[in-house]
Amino acid sequence: MIEVPERLDELNRFFDERRWSDGLPVVPSTRERVERMLRQTRRAPEETIARIAPVFGAATVERIAINAVLAGCHPEVLPVLIAVAEAIAAPEFQLQSIQATTHPVAVWIIINGAVAGRLGVNGGGNCLGPGTWANATLGRALRLILQNIGGALPGDMDRATQGQPGKYTFCCAENEAENPWEPLHVERGFAPDCSTVTVVGAAGTVNMNSHAKDAGDLLRVIADTMAFPVGIDYVYGGEPWLVLSPEHAHVLKRDGLSKAGVKHRLWNESRLAAHRLAAKDFGRTQNARRAELGEIAPDSLLPISVRPQDIGIIVAGSAGTHSVYVPAFGGISRSVTREVSS
Amino acid sequence: MAGTMLVFDPVAPRDGEPGQSSRKLDDLKGKVVGFIDNGKPNFNHLVDDLAELLVGKYRVAAVMKRAKRGPGVPAPDEVIKELCERCDAVITGSGD
Repeated sequence: MIEVPERLDELNRFFDERRWSDGLPVVPSTRERVERMLRQTRRAPEETIARIAPVFGAATVERIAINAVLAGCHPEVLPVLIAVAEAIAAPEFQLQSIQATTHPVAVWIIINGAVAGRLGVNGGGNCLGPGTWANATLGRALRLILQNIGGALPGDMDRATQGQPGKYTFCCAENEAENPWEPLHVERGFAPDCSTVTVVGAAGTVNMNSHAKDAGDLLRVIADTMAFPVGIDYVYGGEPWLVLSPEHAHVLKRDGLSKAGVKHRLWNESRLAAHRLAAKDFGRTQNARRAELGEIAPDSLLPISVRPQDIGIIVAGSAGTHSVYVPAFGGISRSVTREVSS
Repeated sequence: MAGTMLVFDPVAPRDGEPGQSSRKLDDLKGKVVGFIDNGKPNFNHLVDDLAELLVGKYRVAAVMKRAKRGPGVPAPDEVIKELCERCDAVITGSGD
C-alpha cells in the first residue's frame, strides 16, 4: 500500500500527477473498500485473471478490484469486471492493437442475462448516455484497468489521434425484454439463464434516425449509413455493430425478418464499390482481402464483413426512432463473450 | 506526512513477464534475414531495396519476405514459426 494525502483534492492531485486516473476524480482505494469488493468473489485476490496488453501487466483479482474502487464501482460488479478482463485478453480480441492504435477504438461492454438487472445496468433509455451508476462506473473501471494494468497511457502507449468519448466509459445492457429475437448471449451459444459480458472494439457511434415503418425501407437507410468509404471495416472485412431501437427491431420482426435475416440483407445492401475508397485505401484493401475476395477491381463490390453473421446486432434503448451504427476496428479485433460467474 | 492515509496502488508492475533478450549478431555475412511485410502500401518496395543492400553490401546469404494482412494484425503462426526456424534476424516495420 502507499501513503497518500487524506484530503480528497490533494489525493486526486497525487493521482493526477502519477497518471493513475483517466482525468476524473477517483474514490480512494482504501483497504476497507477493496476488501469489501473482494468479498463478492470466491476467487483468490492474488489470482491472475489475465495479462493486459500492451505491457502485459498482471490483472489479479485484487488489482481489478482496486481499479474498480477508484472508478466508483459498487462492490457487487467485481465478477463482471473479472469476466471482462478474461474477455479482453482473448487472442482474437487483439487488445494490443486496440490499446496502441491511432484509431479511436474504445472497448464497449455489453451485458446480457440476469446480472444486468441485478446490478442495475441500463439497457433502456440513455443506455449509452449518462445517468446510470453501473453503466458509468463499469466502463470507467475498464478504462482504468486498460491504463493502470495494461499501461496504455494516452499520448504514450495509447497513440489515438483524437480518441473518442467512449474511451471514458462505454457500457450498456441489451434490452432483452424489448428484443423480438434471441438475445446476444443466446445467439452466441450461451443458455438463456446465463449472464455474460461481450467486449467489442468500437470506433464510435452514429445516430440513425428514421421513421421508416417498412423493413425494406429501414434496411436500405441503415445499409447506406454503414457504407462509408473511410470505414476500416471495408479494408479488412470487419465486424460492424448495430444497436437497434426496440421500435426499429419490431418493424423488422413484424415484416418477417429473423436476426440472421437482417444481417444477411444488410451484408448484401451495404456492399461498397471499391472505387469509392481513396487510392491508398484501395491498395490496402487489395492487399488485405486478396485471399478472401480474389483480385479486387475498381468496380468490385466489397462486403463490409467476411460473412453476414459477422455483423453484430443488439436491441437497446427506449421509445424513439433512433438506432445506432457502431463502426468497428476492421477485421483486426473480434468481439468476445464470456460468462459471468462468482 | 500529516493528514495521510494508505491506499492500494492501482498500477501493475512492468516486470511481470520474464524477459528474453534477443541474440546479438556479430555481423550479417552468411546470415538469413527475414522481413514481415505489414501490408502497408510501399513496404514491399522498401524491403526490395533493403534486401538488395543486405545481399550486395553486407553479404547476407538470403532474405525471406513474408506478409501479414495489415499492420494491426499479427503475422500468422505458420509465418512466425517459419521465420524463427530459418532466420538469424527478422525485421518488421512500417512503410507508407
